[in-house]
Amino acid sequence: MPEEPDIELSFRGGRLVSALPIALFIAWAIFQSGILGIGDTTGLVAGMLTGLIVGLLFVRGDWKDYADVVFAGMTRRVAATAVVAWLWAGMFAETIQVGGFVDGLVWAATVLNVGPGLFPAVTFLLAALLATGIGTGYGTAIAFTSLVFPAGLLLGANPVLLFGAILSGAVFGDNLAPVSDTTIVSAVTQDADIGGVVASRVKYAVVAATLAIAAYLVAGFGIPGVWGGMPHVDVAGEVSASVSPWGLVHLLDIAVVIALAVRGRHIIEAVSWGLLLAAAFNVALGAANLVDVSVGSMLLFSAPQNGLTQAVEALPLLGAVVETVPAGQVGVGGSVYSGAAGFFPLIVLTLLLVAGAEVMRAGGGFDAIQELVIDRVATTVRRAETTMVVGTALVNATVTINTAAEIAIAPYVATLGKRFNINGYRRANILDANTSALGYIFPWGGGLLAGYGAMQGLVGGEATPWFTAEMLVNPASVFPYVFHGWFLVAVFLFAAWTGYGREYVSDRTSEEVSRV
Amino acid sequence: MSRLDKLLAGWTFRTATPTFEPGEVITAYVSERNGDGLTVRIGDSVIRVEDGRGAAVEDKVRLEVTSFDATNHVGTGEVVEVLGPDA
Repeated sequence: MPEEPDIELSFRGGRLVSALPIALFIAWAIFQSGILGIGDTTGLVAGMLTGLIVGLLFVRGDWKDYADVVFAGMTRRVAATAVVAWLWAGMFAETIQVGGFVDGLVWAATVLNVGPGLFPAVTFLLAALLATGIGTGYGTAIAFTSLVFPAGLLLGANPVLLFGAILSGAVFGDNLAPVSDTTIVSAVTQDADIGGVVASRVKYAVVAATLAIAAYLVAGFGIPGVWGGMPHVDVAGEVSASVSPWGLVHLLDIAVVIALAVRGRHIIEAVSWGLLLAAAFNVALGAANLVDVSVGSMLLFSAPQNGLTQAVEALPLLGAVVETVPAGQVGVGGSVYSGAAGFFPLIVLTLLLVAGAEVMRAGGGFDAIQELVIDRVATTVRRAETTMVVGTALVNATVTINTAAEIAIAPYVATLGKRFNINGYRRANILDANTSALGYIFPWGGGLLAGYGAMQGLVGGEATPWFTAEMLVNPASVFPYVFHGWFLVAVFLFAAWTGYGREYVSDRTSEEVSRV
Repeated sequence: MSRLDKLLAGWTFRTATPTFEPGEVITAYVSERNGDGLTVRIGDSVIRVEDGRGAAVEDKVRLEVTSFDATNHVGTGEVVEVLGPDA
């Protein structure tokens, strides 16, 4: 658990005013992406900066305290964890992509006869499998949007539905994976063992996933994939018979990452091994002329033409990553560069958002909401459980990295649940399912933006030259199609009302937390 | 509890008002303190304890149920052991 800094803030207008920076940000996000249809993450960064500055004006007393709270929020470990996951997953996914993996998937889908109708349902299942294995829904959203999404488009699948299916798979894994950070937080904060928590949540996840698969099948065959006027109408169906299956060797480096993650290795270690292996495969595939890839696809310094740079370009080894170009095209490129760079705006946004949440904590905004809820709303066990579901949803709307949201709401779920002697497993399940789901449904949620960031990387990408900015799926249009997320929330509202899966402390005491 | 038991536990619709038999010993968190007494809510069922033996709200206690009215879901109990708050 993060350490709580001692600083308390006082706001003109009361404790709820501490929610102002985040409230302004949400209003900005709805205006920008929902109403105007602009999915620019850097625009959201401007929104959060504005929110933090406006919040400052309402602080009573020393403004330095507010600044200290902002710093305390930005240096939280959970923020660093998300940043690391995005950077490494971004580099890895992009490196596999330049290695022809998308072509390999298209080849496999063609051979196995997975048409555009079936593609979203299959994508959901595979994304769920990957996310459950590696425990990071964000990483899954990034990898699948970089790799499977373009393959689906080429086969003529509906892009919005496909993006929704990828996010659904990420929800499933975040919710169920034993190594997922949200699973671990939910177990630890509700005093329950991780194995027991995972075992007890299968009964909810399976119900929601079954409904989601059915929904993706119905929608996949019911909604036309690409129709006239959609920008990708020209590329769909353009799968040439000559696509190379060789990119599928990257399944091996993906397997290495999954195996290491499942065995409890740190994500930096697991993904770095995968990245090194992927790079080695790329060099070999390129050298054997099986895939159009080279060292320069992964890292390339495009230098201005002069005597020195031309000399460097001619060198052995080092010359492989240097080319000389006209002055206008100077820069650094390659999958390692662009895979990481795609996430810079999201990383900055995340740090600022965690700071905004910290301001809300220090200003008593979360406490004010808790008191209101416990004393007036949650008067019966049904209402208490429903409050946990809705409260978790609301906090996820404000704190958009779902792990951070979960840490913020966890003490309240514990207090509320213990008041009615709701079992630790049940509390952990309510907490984690709704955290996992909503983080990929709200258009400003970290998981959704992570996928969107990866999608922006496809525009003009080396492996996807046909992908144009017009083909981007607006984050605000995908939320109705995150079927597994919606069904998971619905299952829990149903469970709160009917008692499905409910267990009391007196029925079964959760075991000690054996592993953090 | 085996892994399979853990997987199969709770696939039921559990009532909001569980019932208890006199003499049954249960583990539960303290919901409220009223003077020396305690209120323990298990769902919407309530067990009142006269001598709380110093247990605080959110402390886990071992509790012997001394009476239970299944119609009104209200009962009485005695604290056997105060286990204290979660670590």
